[in-house]
Amino acid sequence: MDVLIQIIASGLTLGAMYAVATIGLSLVYGSLNMLNMAHGALLTLGGYICYATITHLGFHPALALIAAALVCAAAGLVIYAFATLPLLRAENFETNIFIATIGIGSIIENLMLKSFGPYPIPQPLGISGQVVIGNVHIPVQNILILVTALTLMAAVAFLLQKTRTGRAIRATSMNREAAQLMGVRVGQVYAQVLALSGALAAVSGIMISSIATLTPVMGGDPMLKAFIVCVVAGLGNVYGAVIAAIVLGLLEAATQYVFGVRWSFATLLLLVILVLIWRPYGLFGRGQVVRL
Amino acid sequence: MAEPALALKAVRSGYADRIVLQSVDLTVGKGELTAIIGPNGHGKSTLLKTISGLLRVREGEIALAGERIDGLRPDEIVERGVIHVPQGDLLFPAMSINENLMMGAYRTREAAAIAERLEKVFALLPKLKDRRNQLAGTLSGGERRMCGIGRGLMAGGDLLMLDEPSLGLAPIVIDQIYEVILDLRRAGSTILVVEENAERIMDAADRIHLLDNGRFAWAGKGPELMASPQIIEAYLGA
Repeated sequence: MDVLIQIIASGLTLGAMYAVATIGLSLVYGSLNMLNMAHGALLTLGGYICYATITHLGFHPALALIAAALVCAAAGLVIYAFATLPLLRAENFETNIFIATIGIGSIIENLMLKSFGPYPIPQPLGISGQVVIGNVHIPVQNILILVTALTLMAAVAFLLQKTRTGRAIRATSMNREAAQLMGVRVGQVYAQVLALSGALAAVSGIMISSIATLTPVMGGDPMLKAFIVCVVAGLGNVYGAVIAAIVLGLLEAATQYVFGVRWSFATLLLLVILVLIWRPYGLFGRGQVVRL
Repeated sequence: MAEPALALKAVRSGYADRIVLQSVDLTVGKGELTAIIGPNGHGKSTLLKTISGLLRVREGEIALAGERIDGLRPDEIVERGVIHVPQGDLLFPAMSINENLMMGAYRTREAAAIAERLEKVFALLPKLKDRRNQLAGTLSGGERRMCGIGRGLMAGGDLLMLDEPSLGLAPIVIDQIYEVILDLRRAGSTILVVEENAERIMDAADRIHLLDNGRFAWAGKGPELMASPQIIEAYLGA
């Protein structure tokens, strides 16, 4: 029983972190058919902004989190203005933006390297203490991450389902031309989605660095796992991505316990291969994805 | 003719390097039902897409109630009251009927106006009210068309443009759709209908324009068209 509680607790924390990392990626793909390869670098940027505002500017942690989210949202807007918008007007958008965002990600990571150095830095957001359930000790930090992630997911779901902006985002992702005929400014929607994705990446980067450390390349692994979640769920399916992230988190925790840590990533990749053979468009994906 | 609601002067437009509309002139009278007929692939849908801003006007002018709208973005044209119900409906499949209708009123901020329009749409299309929570992706062809028209009406525009409202539907459903269109016409709406099925629109339209190879080849009233077998034979294949 204790083992099960431990696996569930670890798996939910992992899954929640993956979910927050994935939502932004999935939203951008769903709306623009854009694989944002700079997403991992935005995670890193968010983590470092939080660190810098707390240690150098003396910000309260909550304020530092907001500052990081705002900076990364602004970075999302910069990506929209200087990469997405010009490339949308040209042919082969999907390929060109894929390559362009690899370059942007590399620039951001190198800026972090230049500013903060190559060595791991602890994120000054850690909360000590543990909650004991049976014989299982669950760090309060993990519970805080889980609660933050669930709150964010609920907020995103509310935004998408209940607000005018959210309806415009969903409409644009379903059919761009129809959304335009309803009076939706799709350019504005794209900018909003990239800003939202940037803010979510920042929070994700802060959560991940709070249980690991800050390094300039820390975004690579979570972005890879976010892609795995996206592929398993079906690219562009936000709600499917949240479910897939939680399930994959639980699977990873169980694999780590049963077979050892070294098998966890291999298991995720095996799962992706099996899902792609069984359902090439992902578990919740549509049969065809076209940039609308 | 009634006061012009929409006027096109020497409009040229098309896709990428292909010009489809070749110097088109058209006037749609206020409160009238104007029909565009013609063979498939000769520019009827392109005409509506150009008016609604989905396609760029390469040359010429489009004016709505005397005010130029060519060069505006589609959302700005919607804002000015041009409602385009596209071919194939283009509903949002993962949204309910109700959400699709709400998207129709996207540019309207006043809750009272939205509620009033919703009541009118439900009165005109009662099936939609019964199924308001059903996902649009699960509707039949006729229901989708009704939802598309209802969504257009939710915008509360001055000019309703319908692209092939009878396309792919069973005759009984086409009758229902045209009943709705005629109800709207009787209520004083300005309607521009693109229709491949000339017989269907002949009696209902105040004026008919025949589009052939991106140019208007003929214009007149339904009875005049019926009295021109050479036109029907040459362009409409009957």
